[in-house]
Amino acid sequence: MKILIVEDEQGLRENMLTYLSEDNNICESCADLATAITKLAGYQYDFVLLDIGLPDGEGFEILHYLKKEMRNEAVIIISARNSLDDRIKGLNIGADDYLVKPFHLAELKARIVAVFRRKAANSNNNLVFNEIVINLIGRTVFINDVEILLTRKEYDMLLYFIANKGKVIAKTALAEHLWGDEMDMHDNFDFIYSHIKNLRKKILDVTTNDYLKSVYGIGYKFTDK
Amino acid sequence: MKLAAHYNKVNIIVTLSVLVVGAVIYFFAINTITNNRLDEELGEEVSEVISYIQQYKQLPKQFDIDENQVEFIKTNLLNSKPRYFDTTYVNPRKSGDKSGRAFEGGLSFKGDNYRFRIIISSESTVYLKQIITAITLILMLVVLTILSLANRYLLNDLWKPFFGLLAHMKAFNVSESSSFKLTNNKVDEFNDLDNAIGVMSSRVKNDFQNLKHFTENASHEMLTPLAVITSKLDTLIQDETLKKEHFDQIQDIYGAAGKLSRLNQSLLLLVKIENNLIADNDTLNLQQLINDKLRQFQELLTSKEIQIYAELEDKEVVVSKYLIDILLNNLLSNAIRHNQVKGNINIYLTGDRLVIQNSGSDVPLDGEAIFDRFQKGSTSDGAGLGLTIVKNICNVCGWDMQYLFINNLHTFSIVF
Repeated sequence: MKILIVEDEQGLRENMLTYLSEDNNICESCADLATAITKLAGYQYDFVLLDIGLPDGEGFEILHYLKKEMRNEAVIIISARNSLDDRIKGLNIGADDYLVKPFHLAELKARIVAVFRRKAANSNNNLVFNEIVINLIGRTVFINDVEILLTRKEYDMLLYFIANKGKVIAKTALAEHLWGDEMDMHDNFDFIYSHIKNLRKKILDVTTNDYLKSVYGIGYKFTDK
Repeated sequence: MKLAAHYNKVNIIVTLSVLVVGAVIYFFAINTITNNRLDEELGEEVSEVISYIQQYKQLPKQFDIDENQVEFIKTNLLNSKPRYFDTTYVNPRKSGDKSGRAFEGGLSFKGDNYRFRIIISSESTVYLKQIITAITLILMLVVLTILSLANRYLLNDLWKPFFGLLAHMKAFNVSESSSFKLTNNKVDEFNDLDNAIGVMSSRVKNDFQNLKHFTENASHEMLTPLAVITSKLDTLIQDETLKKEHFDQIQDIYGAAGKLSRLNQSLLLLVKIENNLIADNDTLNLQQLINDKLRQFQELLTSKEIQIYAELEDKEVVVSKYLIDILLNNLLSNAIRHNQVKGNINIYLTGDRLVIQNSGSDVPLDGEAIFDRFQKGSTSDGAGLGLTIVKNICNVCGWDMQYLFINNLHTFSIVF
């Protein structure tokens, strides 16, 4: 996947670049509107991650440009502005998703994967990770052709893990993804643990590969290595 | 006391005393003038009597001298001092006592000393005085009545712009963008006041807008550094050489960053609510919303083994879906967070109120302070904005929010 990151905050830009530059992804980045337009004019991308508040203008202009040029890059807006108006405006001009700062990189990755899957929905409805096959339309999970029954939370969790495979995911990121940040848990992660335990047990019931690893109390890692 | 009453009080006291003093002076003046006139008349009578005596060499008889009464009394006293005085006498031609003015003096006649007294009627002057008194009294009454009536109407009319202004100021809302409307009127003072208030209100609004923008901008500016912190941490934890101690530290930083971003969101939300920026009202079934919320909180409830007792009637409210969601979230997460393990939560929803009770600390909370910003219990690790937000949402919806401590249960009730 070819991704263009348009973000003026250097620290954030670099981290997004490193985090996303795996899985055969090619990432490029720029810090302002003018460079972004030049890059978009010259190359084709799959994805644009777009900050709204740029030093030389509003990121919405890039959306207008893409719309005018009839391009089909997927766009995720990354904004510090959590206003409904901005969200609606962005989605109306053609953004595919709207992510409010601060966000976890794992969340960004999961959103990218979700948007990508939605865009490619017709071609492939199955998500495959080794022996795990997930039917995205039926929301069913098969391991070695045996169906395992997951609760909604466990299913969402599995998708999230696979989108961020090989990465350590912080518990806070996982909790925010599954319960939303408005449910203020104040660092009570006990019940996340029980969901993880159940998911892990259901997977281990049908396969010997233990993909789900706990990382020193900070979070979890879904990996086949 | 109202201004008009104050004014009337002073006005009436001053008018009354001036009128009373005036009337007294008037009375005495008229009295003196009429007495002088009568005394002059008496003087003429006296000289008439004396000339009669000199002419006829005898004391005049009663009927000789008009209708005035003259009497002579033989006395040993020589030349008693002449004096004028008021008296009453009996007029044989009229019934009853009549008031009169008398002169008393002495004279010698044929070797005898006489004291003589002449009385003339002062009836007409008494009558005059009575009429003048009556007219004065009536005039006083009329003046007072007219004054108070005139004052009332005049004041009411004159002060009308003031009351208009007052109503304006009472309705003044700092967050409303509509500017202060100047009422044009003919009194310069009120025009001045009007202008001053207009200037003041626009300055207040300006300041408030600036403050609001500052809060908004400050919060927004904080979000990007927060995003940097989070993304750095997300990257950092990928490092496989880190040890357990490092992860513990990182976990704490995650916690602090999360708290900061929640605080930020709460502040931004407060600004929005206080400025009535969220106005997408829908008709919502509260019973259904609460049930949904309870389902959403199920895991938290079971992890603390909290017993829920819910008695919910069907109730529809017209409110922003976003706000009611936050309201229920804050109330329920408070009820869970400040609860003990194996505690209870009771929820009652009736046509006119929503009551949420939870067990927890045995000490009642300060019912006033808990709704203030950044007020939180010693054991709370929140920002202390949750209940402020709830209270503000209630204010926006026109609901009343109360806290009571009943039967060892912390009780929050919203009266619709």
